[in-house]
Amino acid sequence: MTAHEYGVGIGWRPEIAGFVAGLPGLRFTEVVAESVPPHGDLPSGLAELRDRGVAVVPHGVRLSLGGADPVEPARVRHLAEVAARLDAPLVSEHIAFVRAAGVEAGHLLPLPRSREAVDAVVANVRRTQDALDVPIALEPIAALFDWPDDELDEGAFLTEILDRTGALLLLDVANVYANACNRGSDPSALFDRVPLDRIAYVHVAGGSEHDGLYHDTHTDPVPRRVLDLLAELCARHRPPAVMLERDGDYPPAADLRDELDAIAKASGYPAVS
Amino acid sequence: MKDHDAQPGSRVTGLRERQAELVEALTSGAPVPYGFDGRRVAAARVALLRKRAGEVARPWPMLAAAHGPRWTAEFARWAARRPTQGALRDGWDLARDLESRSELPAAAGAELAIREAGWRYDGRSAPRIRRAPAIRSAAGCVAIQIAGWVRVVRSVRRP
Repeated sequence: MTAHEYGVGIGWRPEIAGFVAGLPGLRFTEVVAESVPPHGDLPSGLAELRDRGVAVVPHGVRLSLGGADPVEPARVRHLAEVAARLDAPLVSEHIAFVRAAGVEAGHLLPLPRSREAVDAVVANVRRTQDALDVPIALEPIAALFDWPDDELDEGAFLTEILDRTGALLLLDVANVYANACNRGSDPSALFDRVPLDRIAYVHVAGGSEHDGLYHDTHTDPVPRRVLDLLAELCARHRPPAVMLERDGDYPPAADLRDELDAIAKASGYPAVS
Repeated sequence: MKDHDAQPGSRVTGLRERQAELVEALTSGAPVPYGFDGRRVAAARVALLRKRAGEVARPWPMLAAAHGPRWTAEFARWAARRPTQGALRDGWDLARDLESRSELPAAAGAELAIREAGWRYDGRSAPRIRRAPAIRSAAGCVAIQIAGWVRVVRSVRRP
């Protein structure tokens, strides 16, 4: 995904499969890896996209790379199988944990930015890489809270994980924006602290504010300030691909098209709609 | 960590134990672990429940729709101390709970009866397709399943 430019994409979801299939300029999309079966029929419409040359990236959400325990081999195997089925140029997952002591959190949870956590993530990313034929890109998450005893700042934490694993970066500018809002820091400051040339692709998503906290919901429109942050990132180092993530409360097609056009404009890539 | 002595109670130190403690606080109503911002962890807990309500509404559209605008709050109340078992099972457990208290809305009856007739679910592990014919009812709806075909044969208003 770093070899050439894919431009603007959108996350494939069954609810908007028709909309995604109808985008004439689309060259890449992303699918939740756990929603793709390892055998049998692919979700309707996905095979057609792959066969028409659209790159489809499996995006894992349940590996729990940041868990203290080793990743479950069956989950890693599934991700590798899905990548092979989709002819994916790469896969992606999160720098987060989603379960502990056998209990599912139901969401991506932040890690302490500690040496111990870096070691845990690095070990799990390596286990995953061993099973994959394609590169993996790691996505830093949006979190409503931090751990009380962080030893590293976010830039150092991410850079160390990327350096030690050789993984690519999936940078979500909405996550960067959300974290900066909720920590009261400057969102673009992170751009100085992570290797922008390692970005495989970028996520853009909507969110909303409740009780003074910004929630990265994926069910609200993309705020202007997130698009501005995308423009600033692209002015420094334009990543090869940028995509919209929408996960529910789907708006009319015209609104999704407008958001894709706004992402194209902010990044300088051609419109795909 | 600072102010180690400022707060009583046990304090685990390993990543594994601390992750478990945090997940318990977010999913089972356990106390917020030492040193975390309680207001923010509570906000994350509420956001998590809201997200789960949306996810459960996909496999259980009638259950959610029958609650109308109260769905998210109703589900969150029920789920606050129940970690997720996946959207299918969460909705199933809630529907059974409501049915056992005769509180399952009539509009959600057929959905539960159809699932019960078609699948065997022990409440503890993944549901499995039934091989044998079955008749099940919920909220006044009766579903019959024979050789994989399920039909609602009677749908009556709850007395």
